Amino acid sequence: MSSRPAWSAAFAAESLPTIEAIPEIDDVTPEWAWGESTGAGVKVAVIDSGIDADHPAVGGSVSGYVAISEGPEGLLFDEEPHTDAFGHGTACAGIIRSLAPECELYSVQVLGPMLTGRGGVFAAGLRWAIDNGMHVCNLSLGTTKRDFFAIFHELADDAYFHNMILVTAANNMPIPSFPSLYSSVISVACHEGQDPGIFYYNPEPPVEFGAPGIEVRVAWMSGAWITATGNSFAAPHITGIVTRILGKHPALAPFHMKGVLRSLAANVPRPRL
Amino acid sequence: MGAGKPEDIIARQAEEIERLRERVESEQAIHDLRRALTLAAAAGTIGAPVTHDRLLEMILDTAAHVISARSGALFLLDEETHELVFEAALGSKADAVMKFRVPLGHGIAGLVAVSGQPIAISDAESDPHFAADIADRVGYIPKSVLCMPLFYGGRVIGVIELLDKEGATSFGPYDMEALTLFANQAAVALQQSRTHHNLAELIRDVLDIGDTQQTTRLAVVVKEHPTFRSSLELAQLVHEIVSEGDDETEACRAMLRGFAQYLRLRPGAGDLGPR
Repeated sequence: MSSRPAWSAAFAAESLPTIEAIPEIDDVTPEWAWGESTGAGVKVAVIDSGIDADHPAVGGSVSGYVAISEGPEGLLFDEEPHTDAFGHGTACAGIIRSLAPECELYSVQVLGPMLTGRGGVFAAGLRWAIDNGMHVCNLSLGTTKRDFFAIFHELADDAYFHNMILVTAANNMPIPSFPSLYSSVISVACHEGQDPGIFYYNPEPPVEFGAPGIEVRVAWMSGAWITATGNSFAAPHITGIVTRILGKHPALAPFHMKGVLRSLAANVPRPRL
Repeated sequence: MGAGKPEDIIARQAEEIERLRERVESEQAIHDLRRALTLAAAAGTIGAPVTHDRLLEMILDTAAHVISARSGALFLLDEETHELVFEAALGSKADAVMKFRVPLGHGIAGLVAVSGQPIAISDAESDPHFAADIADRVGYIPKSVLCMPLFYGGRVIGVIELLDKEGATSFGPYDMEALTLFANQAAVALQQSRTHHNLAELIRDVLDIGDTQQTTRLAVVVKEHPTFRSSLELAQLVHEIVSEGDDETEACRAMLRGFAQYLRLRPGAGDLGPR
């Protein structure tokens, strides 16, 4: 058998896969994309400050937990149920659940009382999500430290090649933040609307999508609710919509997902069904 | 889609004009603030150590004024103890709270410090813990909060927290934008002032002198030494130029680079010359 150039085996006649067709980009409708979907069967990691499962917005069900922290001899991974010391992760989880009520939520707690080693803890959270077969990951966080540019780039690529959709919030401040600036992620900032189903496409990257994040009512710590502003709250709106789409079309890859979202963005004029 | 009724168009235009007007005002305010901070930082470089505390108060006071906040607080991060140290506060109990410490693990300021992201929060009556860490300190429970990290060199060095937007129920996206620009300037001024503030401490550490009075006297001597003073003046001039913006910074860099190159090429430049 003659040798092939590297990576070409997948395209040999005997192994070439047949892939399920998706509609032409202009034929995608909300009904096709997420009609009847509740997000059931989709695993969603919220990498944040934890999730308070008892908050009514979360509805008592969190499928898995991991709290990551830096110990004296390396990283510690605690998979016992935890809660949320800040409220921020619960806010994100509540928004996702409101759009995809039957999704499986996983709480990956990386924000704690320590700043030391935060970038490493945060990268470990993303690694955990990839290694544990998450389908979607909400990252309303980022790091501004250039030292982590390559590490997060590799993780974001790895997520992409594992078909994990990585939804990130753009930094609220005009400073570079990773991984929200990479092309492999879905980067989100907030628009002024309140309708959770309305999102916009921005043809000028890196921030490609806009969702509600200004004065939105969100779950918070100790069962409370607050009104909050920040890109942190826009990202989970897109995460929720992505989760619903994956509930109906589990095989979609990240590049399909950006195409589907672009087709259904409210600033793309088309007849809507 | 049609253009809509004339009154709707006028209303939309009025809204847009109002938005632009607010933006222009906030940009003017930021410009004023930048000038004030440049002066304050320069003053901090040559003034007495107490200027550091006055700078903190001034930063908070100006931020509250520019953003129209009723009160606020400024924390600096103690990286060793993982605590936020209450450095300045505006409010009825402001004097009583100096150097109060808050662990990073909770509260809005803690969240902003560990996440590095600003947040605006309001309408939190159902949350009994809302801003509990700050409510006691300023003497009342705020209705709205805008909290912003202070970044220097890619690291969070502190947090500024403004309370209760005057004339509105919450801080809006424009407030967040304006405070972001302000916070960048404030962090630079703070860090520079802090470096100066620690001069006496640095000398004490280097020379292993226990006597604080003696160290302070030594710090004054060092500052008044002609060589040191002229270095300070040079640094102060460069700082002033850099604070004016990117174009001014580039012009300053080009001039200094040109002069340095001239010196290197000058006959007898020795080790600095081209090889």
